[in-house]
Amino acid sequence: MYKFITLLTLALVFTACTKHEAVATEKQASTTLDTVITNFSLPDINGKTHSLTDYKSSKAIVLMFISTECPVSNAYNSRMAAIAKDYAAKGITFLGINSNKAEDVAAIKKHAADNGLGFTILKDKGNVVADQLSASFTPEIYVLNGDLKLLYHGRIDDKRRVEEVTSNDLQKALDEIVAGKPVSVSSTKAFGCTIKRVD
Amino acid sequence: MSRLLSLIGLFLLVITFNTQSQEVKTIDEKGLSNLLKNRDGSILFINFWATWCVPCREEFPDIVKLAKNFPKVEYVAVSLDHPDEIKSKIEPFLKKMKAPFNNYVAKFKDDQVLIEMINKDWNGAIPATAIYSSNGKEVGFYPKKMSYTELEKELKKVIK
Repeated sequence: MYKFITLLTLALVFTACTKHEAVATEKQASTTLDTVITNFSLPDINGKTHSLTDYKSSKAIVLMFISTECPVSNAYNSRMAAIAKDYAAKGITFLGINSNKAEDVAAIKKHAADNGLGFTILKDKGNVVADQLSASFTPEIYVLNGDLKLLYHGRIDDKRRVEEVTSNDLQKALDEIVAGKPVSVSSTKAFGCTIKRVD
Repeated sequence: MSRLLSLIGLFLLVITFNTQSQEVKTIDEKGLSNLLKNRDGSILFINFWATWCVPCREEFPDIVKLAKNFPKVEYVAVSLDHPDEIKSKIEPFLKKMKAPFNNYVAKFKDDQVLIEMINKDWNGAIPATAIYSSNGKEVGFYPKKMSYTELEKELKKVIK
């Protein structure tokens, strides 16, 4: 019994800790609000090239970094399709962007058809645009005005499960833009899948 | 007889620790805050992952290896799956990994609160790892998948 107590004590001591410190923080670069995004051109999944400047007359341009394989992005498929449809009628352009290295045009095309994604989807080969914007996960949203100034960056809403959503952040921002008001909450955060970049 | 009792005791102790480590509890804002601040002299290595995150699953065995090689550090893994997926998804993965540390699943009203608590520069991409000193100060934050070599290198900077 004495040995057992000794062993128990040793086990507890084993979990005791030390006092040390160091500094090693890696910061992520981010595209800050109100900055003007440099124009870019990308091909869509049908081979047609789109430039941001093609949509200068839009009330807003919504860039949605999406994935065919990410469960989080896929949980938003129907929400993205519905929002794009609703707000296209209000003068807003929606551009999906797929920057994942392993997801080719054929897979993206099939995924869009299977999930009723009616908005334009661009293929960002070599993740050039994802790098330009410092986009890092899916689904990640950037909203620009016609002058390509960043008005909103972040999530679509606050919950991956649609039935649990309490804050429709993207829609709220778009409603404010359509109403000619400043975006009241211009930056939000959520968990998503890391964009798989080229090595 | 005394030796037999000791061995049985040790066996039960090991079983208890292993079982505890692969059980998943929920953690909310208050729980995470307590974990981060009340270090009680120990370094904290905390990893955020999810069963739906491929690079997280790929990184996890290296965290298990790290925990075995540097046992004086407190390791915690926080899953970002849904709390109702503990039995169906989280625990089966952790049992397969034989994760020898405390495991939680985040239960926050808004994930943004969790993200901001860990690091203001974090945008939510996972896997992500943070290291806290023994006095509760964040001394390392890595919002990416890391190799074992990278994990060990960063931890050694803190342990010294």
